[in-house]
Amino acid sequence: MEMSSNSRKTSRNPFHPQVYVPLALVVFLFILPILPRNPFYEDLILMIFFWGTLAAAWNLVGGFAGQISLGHTAFFGIGAYTSTLLWLKFGLSPWFGMFAGAGLAILVAIGIGVPCFRLRSHFFALATIAFGEVLRHVASYWRGLTQGGVGLLIPFKPEIGNFMFRSKIPYAYIALGLMLLIILVSYIIRNSRFGFYLISLREDQDAAETLGVNTSRCKLVALIISVFFTAVAGTFYAQYLLFIDPDTVFSLPLSIELALLTIIGGLGTVIGPVIGAFILIPLDVLLRGYLGGISAGLNFIVYGIVLVVAVIYFPRGIAGWLRSWYEPFLRRLPGSGQSGGGEGAFTSPALTSEASDPKDANPGVDEGKSPLFRVQSLSKRFGGLAAVRDISFEIKKGEILGLIGPNGAGKTTIFNLITGFFPPDSGRIEFKGEEITGLRPPHKVCIKYIGRTFQLVKPFSNMTVMENVMVGAFSRVRRASEAKEEAMRVLDFIGLSMYRDSLASSLTIADRKRLELGKALATKPELLLLDEVVAGLNPRETEEIIEIIKAISRQGITLFIIEHVMKAIMTLSHRIIVLHHGEKIAEGIPAEISRDRKVIDAYLGEEYLA
Amino acid sequence: MSTAVLQLIINGLLLGGIYALISIGLTLIFGVVEIINFAHGEFLMLSMYASYWLFQLYGVDPYVSLFVVIPAFFAIGWAVQRIIIQPIIHAPPLNQIFATVGMSLVLQNAALFFWKADYRTVRTAYSTVSFSGLMISTPRLVAFVFALAIIAALLIFLKRTYTGKAIRALAQEKRAAMLMGIDIYRMYKIAFGIGIACVGAAGAILIPIYYAFPTVGAMFVLIAFVVVILGGYNSLVGALIGGLIIGMVEAFSGFFLSPHLKEAVYFVIFILILLLRPAGLFGRA
Repeated sequence: MEMSSNSRKTSRNPFHPQVYVPLALVVFLFILPILPRNPFYEDLILMIFFWGTLAAAWNLVGGFAGQISLGHTAFFGIGAYTSTLLWLKFGLSPWFGMFAGAGLAILVAIGIGVPCFRLRSHFFALATIAFGEVLRHVASYWRGLTQGGVGLLIPFKPEIGNFMFRSKIPYAYIALGLMLLIILVSYIIRNSRFGFYLISLREDQDAAETLGVNTSRCKLVALIISVFFTAVAGTFYAQYLLFIDPDTVFSLPLSIELALLTIIGGLGTVIGPVIGAFILIPLDVLLRGYLGGISAGLNFIVYGIVLVVAVIYFPRGIAGWLRSWYEPFLRRLPGSGQSGGGEGAFTSPALTSEASDPKDANPGVDEGKSPLFRVQSLSKRFGGLAAVRDISFEIKKGEILGLIGPNGAGKTTIFNLITGFFPPDSGRIEFKGEEITGLRPPHKVCIKYIGRTFQLVKPFSNMTVMENVMVGAFSRVRRASEAKEEAMRVLDFIGLSMYRDSLASSLTIADRKRLELGKALATKPELLLLDEVVAGLNPRETEEIIEIIKAISRQGITLFIIEHVMKAIMTLSHRIIVLHHGEKIAEGIPAEISRDRKVIDAYLGEEYLA
Repeated sequence: MSTAVLQLIINGLLLGGIYALISIGLTLIFGVVEIINFAHGEFLMLSMYASYWLFQLYGVDPYVSLFVVIPAFFAIGWAVQRIIIQPIIHAPPLNQIFATVGMSLVLQNAALFFWKADYRTVRTAYSTVSFSGLMISTPRLVAFVFALAIIAALLIFLKRTYTGKAIRALAQEKRAAMLMGIDIYRMYKIAFGIGIACVGAAGAILIPIYYAFPTVGAMFVLIAFVVVILGGYNSLVGALIGGLIIGMVEAFSGFFLSPHLKEAVYFVIFILILLLRPAGLFGRA
C-alpha cells in the first residue's frame, strides 16, 4: 500500500530516474533520424521505426495474448492495397485511405478471429498461415483490381496531402510517431485490467475464464488493436516505396519476421519488440547490402538460424535479460531517493493453524426456506456414458456441503456443469432464485458470484503471486490500484503475502493450492466450489488449509467441496452428498453418511467403520 | 457417368495418393511427437531436389532413387528430432512453432541460395497411356501405386512390429508408454525419421510430374495441412482418405471453378472442418 502511493508520487516527479530516463530515450529517438544527413542512414533508422511498430503490434496478440499469428501479413497487405487502390482509382488521399484500410483489415480480422481463436495454439498458427497464403493468391489472381503479380506503381507526386515526401525525414518521423504510439498503447495495456486479462488467458485460458475473464472478447480486442497498427504500417510502406505487389506485402516471411523481432527483443514485454528491431534491422540491412547482391535468400537463412537458436536457447529475449540490470541502474542515478526498507520482513500469515477459533463470529447456516443454490435433476452424458444422472440437491446460505464418491463418480463433472465448462443435457440450476442452467462460458458464472478452484491447480505461471490474485480481483474493480489493494488483503488472509513478488511457478504445491484459493476469493464469491484442495498435501499442510477453509466459511461464503480426504470432509461439512456412477446414493450429516451401508460398500470401505 | 467426370475422378485419385503420402508423415509426427512440423514442405522440396540431382548427375531413375532417398531422409528426420525438436519437447507451443518455422525459412532460402529460383524437372520416358478414351499418365499412376504401397508398409510396420506398437502406444499415452519400458526419446526420433522418410519418398515420386523449385514445398504443405485436419490429425488412415478427398476436390474445383482458386477452396474446407469437426473425419477428440 505504501508502495503504490510511493510509485504514484515518483511518476509525477520529473527528476526521478523512472521519469527522466524514458524521457531522455524518447528525446534521443527524436534526434536519431537527423544525426548524420545521409540517405542510407536515414533509410535504416526509418526501417527500424517501421519494423518496431509492426513487431510491437504483433506482440499484442502473439506476446501478451499468446495467440501465435503467422498471418499478420494479410492485414499489412490489406492496409497497403486498400489505401493504394483508393488513391489510384478515386484520388482519395492515403491519409484517409490509411483508415479505410485499417477499417477493412479490422473487419477481416474479426471475421477470421472469431472462428480461429477457438483453436489450440498450433492450429491457430496453422489457420493464420493458411489465411495469409490465401490472400496472397487472391491478390495475385484478381488482376482486374490488383494487377496481379505485376504489382501497383504509385506515381510520385510529393505533397503532404498525398502522403508523399521528397526527403526521408518526414517518413522517419511518421514511423517514429507510430512506434511511440504503439509503445504507449502497449504500456497502458500492460498496466491495466485488460493487460492482466490478456496475460492470464495466455497462461491458462480455463483458469482465466473462471476468474471472470471474457477470454474471447479480450483476444478479439487485442487483435483489433494489433491489426489497426499493422494495416496503417501497410499504408506507410506503400507510400514510402511507392510500389506494392502480392509477393512482398502478403509474404509469409514478413509475418515470421515480426515474430522473430519480438522473440529476440522479449516476447510479451512492452519495449521488447522495439529492442528487437534496433538489433535485427541494422543486421538485416547490412546482410542485404553486403550479401543480398551476391545472392538472394541469404539474409533469410541467417534469420531462420537466429530464430531457431533463439527459441531453443534464449526464449526470454533481450528485454527479460535487460530488466535484471535496468532497475538497479535506475536506483543508482541521482534523484532516485530510494531509502531502502519497506520490502521484505512481512508479518506472518494472518491465518496460521492456531490463529483461528471456530467460536469466532460465525454467521452460521441460514435456515430460511429458500436455498441459496438449487440443482434439480441434472444430467449429462458423454457419448454412451452417463456421467451425471438425475442429480438434485440444495445448498443453504452459509452452509458447507461436501461431495464425495469414488473416482469417476461424476463429482468434477458437476462442478463443470455448474461453472459453465459444458452445458447439462437436462435439469435446472438456480442461484439466488435466478436460473443459471447452462450459463456459459465460465466467466459469466464468475460474474454471478460463483467461484471455483481446480483439482489440478492452474496458476498463471509467469505472473507473480500478487498478479495472479489481481486477475481475480479485477472481476470486481477496474483500476489496478484497487485490484492491488484487494489482492494484498487476500494474500494476507491466505498467508502468501511474503511471496507476493515471486513467480507463481516457483511456489510449492501446498502454496499453489493456497494461491488457487486466493485467486477464487479475490472474485468475492458468494458460493465457492472447491475441488480437492487438500489432495496431495501432508497432514500439517492439510490442517492449515482446513483452517483457511473454515475462515472462508466464517466470512459468510457458502462452500461446496469435493474431497477424498475423509478427515477434512467430515470435519468441515455440515452435510454431505455421495455420488456413485453419476447417481446420488446418499445425503445427510457426516455422522449418518459414515454409517450408511451403501456409502460404505461403494466408497468408504469396511475399514472406515473400524 | 460422362467420360469427363470419370477422367476428373481418375485425376483426383492419382493426385490424392501423393497428397496422402505427403500428409501421412505430417500426421505421424503430429500424432506421436505432438508437434506440427511447419518445415514439412521444405523436406518435400529437398527430396525433389535430391532425386533431381541424382538423375541429372548420375542418371539415377527417380523411382530407383527412392532406395537412396528414403534412408537418407530417415536419417535427416532422426537428426532434426535429436538436435532441434528434443530440446523443446516440453517447451510452450510458441517455441515449438517457431523452431520448425525457422527451419522452414532456412531450408527454403538455402535452396534459393544454392539452386536459384529456376524450375527444374526430370524428363522421363514414361508417358501417358490412353484407355478407352481416358487419359492416364503413367508417372502419376506409378506415383499413386508407390504411395499406396508405402502407406500400406507403414501401417503394417506400426501394427506388427514392436517398434511400431511402441510408437502407437507413445502416441496414445506418453507416461504409460514410459512406464512400460519404452525409450520414448528413441521412439520420437524413429517417428520423426519415418515421417520425414515418407515425405522424402513423396518428393522422389513427384519429380517426374512436378517441377522442383525453392518454394514448391510451401505450396504442397498447405494441402498437407488441410489433409491432416480433414482426416483427423492422429489418424493415418484418415490422412490417406483425406488425401484422396482433397485430390478429388482439387480436380473438380479446378475444372468447375478455376485452378487459381484451389487454395481458396482448401482454406474454406480447412476452416469448416476446424469449426464443425475439430477432430477431423476419422480422428479421436
